[in-house]
Amino acid sequence: MKKNFNSRILGTAAASCVLGLTVSPRASAAISDEDFNALKSTVQQLQSERAQDKQQIQQLQQQLGETQSLATNAVEKADAVAQAQATPVRNALHNFTMVGDAEIQYAKTFGNNTHSGFLLADFAPIFLYRANDSILFEAGFDVMLQNGAEPVSGHDSGSSTSVGISFAQLDYLINDYVTFVGGYMLLPLGTYSERSAGFLNKMPDGPLGREFLPGAGAGAQLRGAFAVGESGQMITYSVYGANGPSSLDGLDGAGSLDLGGNVGLLNNGNTGNLHTAPSGGGRLGWFYPWAAHKDLEIGLSGQTGVWDDAGNHNWSAAVLDAALHLGPSFELKGEFINSWYGTSDVGTVHPWAVWTQAGYKLAGLNLDMPVINDIELVGRFDKENDAQGTSTDRYTAGFVYYLTNTLLLEGDYEWLHSRGPAALPSNEIILQMSYGF
Amino acid sequence: MKKTQTTLWHTSLFVGVCVISLGLSLACAAPPEKKAEKKLTGAELYAINCNRCHAERYPTEFNSGQWQTLMIHMRVRANLPAKQAKEILKYMKEEAGN
Repeated sequence: MKKNFNSRILGTAAASCVLGLTVSPRASAAISDEDFNALKSTVQQLQSERAQDKQQIQQLQQQLGETQSLATNAVEKADAVAQAQATPVRNALHNFTMVGDAEIQYAKTFGNNTHSGFLLADFAPIFLYRANDSILFEAGFDVMLQNGAEPVSGHDSGSSTSVGISFAQLDYLINDYVTFVGGYMLLPLGTYSERSAGFLNKMPDGPLGREFLPGAGAGAQLRGAFAVGESGQMITYSVYGANGPSSLDGLDGAGSLDLGGNVGLLNNGNTGNLHTAPSGGGRLGWFYPWAAHKDLEIGLSGQTGVWDDAGNHNWSAAVLDAALHLGPSFELKGEFINSWYGTSDVGTVHPWAVWTQAGYKLAGLNLDMPVINDIELVGRFDKENDAQGTSTDRYTAGFVYYLTNTLLLEGDYEWLHSRGPAALPSNEIILQMSYGF
Repeated sequence: MKKTQTTLWHTSLFVGVCVISLGLSLACAAPPEKKAEKKLTGAELYAINCNRCHAERYPTEFNSGQWQTLMIHMRVRANLPAKQAKEILKYMKEEAGN
C-alpha cells in the first residue's frame, strides 16, 4: 500500500514535471517579439520624452533666471533714476536752456527802383538760466546783418553785423501772485512786444504803430496773475517803473523824442537818468476761456513820465489790446495805440495807430488734404498817423505754411497808401522762412 | 488837431466801454456754468494757454529740466497763474518721458 502510495507520489511528481515542462514553454510563448519590441519602443519613447522634459525644465529655469536678472536690473535702474531725480546732478548746463527764433527773407519793394533780394531778417536767441525754482535770468539778442556804405559815394559796399540786446532781465517769483522783474525788460504796452518773435507773429513784418511805443526799457516791474475759478479764467497785472523815453539832443522839439535810449549807463561811463524822473506804467488784462482754443483776452495798458532833459514835458501812451480765438482754426487780434507828448515848438503831438489781424487755418474745413490742412490764411489792416504830417494805411494778405509746428513758411503782399514827408515805400511782397527753437 | 484828438479819445472811450461791457456780459453769463465747473488738468490748461500765442510745442521737444526752466520763462512772459503753470509743468514733464 505504502509502495503504491509512494508510486502515486512519484507518478504525480513526474506528471507535474512533464506538465511543467509542457506548460512553461507555452507561457513564455504568450509575449511575442512584436509585443516585446512594442514594449521596448514605448519605454524608449518614454525615456526620450523624459529627456525632453528635462531639457525643457532646464530651459525654463534658465529663462526664469534671466527674467529675475532683468527684474533686478530694472528695479536697480528705477532706484537709480529716483535717486537721480531726488538729487539732481548740478553742473554748468543742467539749468541752462537756449530758445529763440531765426528768420530769412526774400523781399521785393515796388516803386523805388530796388531789386528783389534775399536777406537774413533776424537771428534772435534767448538764453535762459534757472538759478533755482524761483529765479530765472533771461536775455534775448538780435543779430542783424546789413550792407555797409562806401565812405565817399555812399554806395552800398561790404557788410556789417550788429548784435543788440532785446531784453536782459532777472525774474524772481516772490510768491504765487507776485513776480519781480528787473533789468532791461520788455514793456507790457499792449501784447505785441512780448509776443513778437518771428514764429509767433504770423506776418513777416510787424504792424504799424509799434514804433510809437518803446519796446523795452531799463527798470523794475511787479507782475502776476490771479486765477478766477477753476475754468482757466484769470486777471493779469503788470506795474513798472522805467527810465522812460528821452530826448535825442536834450531839447524838447517834436523831432527830438527818443524812445530807444536812456538805459541808465551814460556814454561817459557815469550812471543816471537823462531827465528828472522815471516813468511809470502798467497793464491790466482779463483772459476768459470758455473751452480749449476758445477764448477772449482784453488788456489796457499805459505809461507816462517826462521825456525832455529839463523835465518840462510828459510823454504818455495808452494801448487797448484784444485777442479772440474761436476754435483752433480762427484767431483775431489787434491793438489800438494812442500816444501823446508835449513839445516846445508844436504843442502836444499825438501819434496814434490801430492794427487788426486775422488768421484762419484751413484744417478747420476738415478736408482730407494734408497740404491744405497745413496752410493758414492771414489778413491784416493797419493804419497810423505820426501827427507830423505822415499817415499810412496798409492792407496785407498772406499765408503761413506749417512745415512743422515751429518751421513756418510765410508770405504776404502789402498794399500801402502812405502820404507825407516820412511816407513809407510802396507795395511790398515778402517771403519768409521762420524757425522757432 | 484838437478836434481830431477829442474824436479819437471819444472813440477810445467808446471802444473801451464796449469791450468792458462785453467782458461783464460774459462774466455775468458765466455763473450758470459755474456749477459744472471742474478743475482743469495740466493737458487742458496747456491747450488753453500755449496756443494763444504760438503753435503748441510737443512735450518731447525738451527734457524735464528744460521744461522747468521754460515754464518759469512762460509763467513770467504770459503772466500765468502759479497753480496753472505748475499743472502745465507737471503735464509736460510727465509727457516728456525723461
